[in-house]
Amino acid sequence: MYSRFYLSVLLISGLLVLAYLGFTAYDSFMPEWMSYQFEYRDYLTKNAKDDAAKKLARALPLEFTQVYLGEMNKVDRCTNCHMGVENPLMENTRLPYKKHSGNYLVNHPVDKFGCTVCHEGQGSATNTKEAHGKGHDTHWDTPILPLAYVQSSCAQCHDTNMLSKSGGDKVAKGEALFMEKGCKGCHKLKGVGGDLGKPLDKVGRQPIAYFTMKHIVGEHTVFNWLKQHFDDPRAIAPDSAMKVKLGEGEADLLTTYMLTLRPDEKPKSYRRINFNEPPVQNGETLYKSYCSACHGDGKKSLYDEVFKRTVPAIMNPSLLKVMDDTNLDKILKEGRTGTQMTAWKKTAAGLTDEQIKEIVTYMAANRPADRPEPFRLAEFKGDLSHGKEVYDLRCAVCHGTNGKGGEDMLGVSLRSKVVQKMIDPEVLAITVRDGRADTPMPAFGSDPFGMSKQDIADVVAYIKDFQSGGGK
Amino acid sequence: MKKLKYMVTAVVSVFLLSAGIHSELRAENKGQVNKGEQIYNTRCMVCHGKKGDGEGPAGVLKKEEAGGRVLEIRPRDFTLGLYRFRTTATGCLPTDEDLTTTIYNGIPRSFMPPLKEMHFDDKVAVMEYIKTFSSRFKDDPPCNPIAIKKPNWVGSEASVNKGKVIYKDMKCWECHGDTGKGDGSKSNEIKDDWGFQILPFNFQTGELKKGSSPENIYMTFTSGLDGTGMPSYEDTLKEDDRWHLVSYTLKLMGKLDKGKKVH
Repeated sequence: MYSRFYLSVLLISGLLVLAYLGFTAYDSFMPEWMSYQFEYRDYLTKNAKDDAAKKLARALPLEFTQVYLGEMNKVDRCTNCHMGVENPLMENTRLPYKKHSGNYLVNHPVDKFGCTVCHEGQGSATNTKEAHGKGHDTHWDTPILPLAYVQSSCAQCHDTNMLSKSGGDKVAKGEALFMEKGCKGCHKLKGVGGDLGKPLDKVGRQPIAYFTMKHIVGEHTVFNWLKQHFDDPRAIAPDSAMKVKLGEGEADLLTTYMLTLRPDEKPKSYRRINFNEPPVQNGETLYKSYCSACHGDGKKSLYDEVFKRTVPAIMNPSLLKVMDDTNLDKILKEGRTGTQMTAWKKTAAGLTDEQIKEIVTYMAANRPADRPEPFRLAEFKGDLSHGKEVYDLRCAVCHGTNGKGGEDMLGVSLRSKVVQKMIDPEVLAITVRDGRADTPMPAFGSDPFGMSKQDIADVVAYIKDFQSGGGK
Repeated sequence: MKKLKYMVTAVVSVFLLSAGIHSELRAENKGQVNKGEQIYNTRCMVCHGKKGDGEGPAGVLKKEEAGGRVLEIRPRDFTLGLYRFRTTATGCLPTDEDLTTTIYNGIPRSFMPPLKEMHFDDKVAVMEYIKTFSSRFKDDPPCNPIAIKKPNWVGSEASVNKGKVIYKDMKCWECHGDTGKGDGSKSNEIKDDWGFQILPFNFQTGELKKGSSPENIYMTFTSGLDGTGMPSYEDTLKEDDRWHLVSYTLKLMGKLDKGKKVH
């Protein structure tokens, strides 16, 4: 049964096995980290200033080391490759043995803090790929943080106040943006905020599987998701209703701040958090944090393509002229059912009565001094059937025949609790008569409509009848 | 003699009858305009204004797109007789049917509501009234509608790819942007014939105002949107090329994605 063919197959496979064994042996005797250590020693020897230093460098042991951090339950083996992180001689060399930038390590020596506490990654791994935790197959939820976001780790032990001054400005700027851009209008943080979006409390430490990564370009990581979602929410989550208007670099800052939102706490001996009360917000900053994302400066009403309805101009002088503080206070507390407007009271979105009062006072500063001419609606008796005629003729085109407003409609919903229950019918009558400046709502009491007072009383009666089942 | 008498009577009566019908027609037309005025003042005037100049009591409407762009929507000024949504060549008046179609369908994304429940005669009446705002309808000769025949390869991959090249060559991207988001380099410099800034269509925001069927898109390329920055390509692009561009437009609008039907 002698065959040249089988003999050559046997020979080739034998050689392959031998080559594989050889490679494995080399690999285990000369792992990745050791070759870096050789390079590191060579570099030090070559660049030694005098013989003593050269001798010292030559004697540098090639060995496997690790930093054990008992309190944090961490083992970091990063310094096996990143040998020069604390060596001032390694300032201008290449990674991985380059010196750490800045003076962060002066107060955070590696033997006390390790590396992954700030940089993330998998500290106990012994090769680059797994240590950096990049790629799906490393099965690591917190891969090494890009330098753009690494300041997010500072917030584990330091408060924003301190970070803003020393080395953590991105966190401080991110937090300021978070408050200013009105994120809490839709997202809850520590129980306070709207309910259109997801709560953000643990968002920086959610596992990768928590996010929909389908549309992410590049590595599937939490920080990439956050950054790309800030850049274009609907490209990442097609159904997202998120509104963002960010300037250059602001998405990175907000991503950094998002990554600071994590539930885990570092041991007390590490933390330097100043537990002072956060600064009290005034009416203006409260308005920005909770209202501005949807209402902008509140001066002009705007149809919103994402919300599919018109967002009212809540700081429009002509609205404030007819609405007193009590009305505003009520609307802020109870919200508008059936629309995106959340109820802001303590038990819902979590604002205290004082905070709501601050916002109302801030809004009311735009109220004109003169009061509207009273309508004296009580003196009229509304005729429902004539009211319906007037409504269908004049109001339905913007508010819809059913009064619900909504998609592709300029008018707001007239069936909401606000219009039906909270507002005095007198206010409605004045609004129909005088219209609302800077919005599409015209003054129906004057030319070219010229609705009579009785017409207006009838249509108000018809609108108010919606709550008892009137209208279509 | 008797024969002649009969003939004269016949001729005279035919003449009288036709004159009668004619005057009756004119009266009917006038009646229609009156009726149209009435309907216009209750349903259209709030935006388009009593004089048809687009300056109604509702004023300029504002809208925020998904991407955060704020559009200013100005109701059409009828006094110039310039219409975007036509089936006629550029520079032409729209046909009566073009006007009633817009009244019937409304204009998506612009708050012009569809008036589908309105009686056909009423729509014609409003249309006749709207025509009185501009002298063009009296002075200019009417134009014939452009004939359309959609080739069956519209929407095919080959056609989309050809359209993509045309989109690049014809510099559509200068206004509409490389990915059709309406964010091209010139997108902020476009003004309409009234001197107001307008924004080019973002293909990802929703339906086209003229309607998003392949035929409507083809018609837009052919007729142009008079009064805006969108020119007619009837002379500069061959018919097939315009259809390839339709394919690419449908692609940009996401209408060729799986599971979505082209209407």
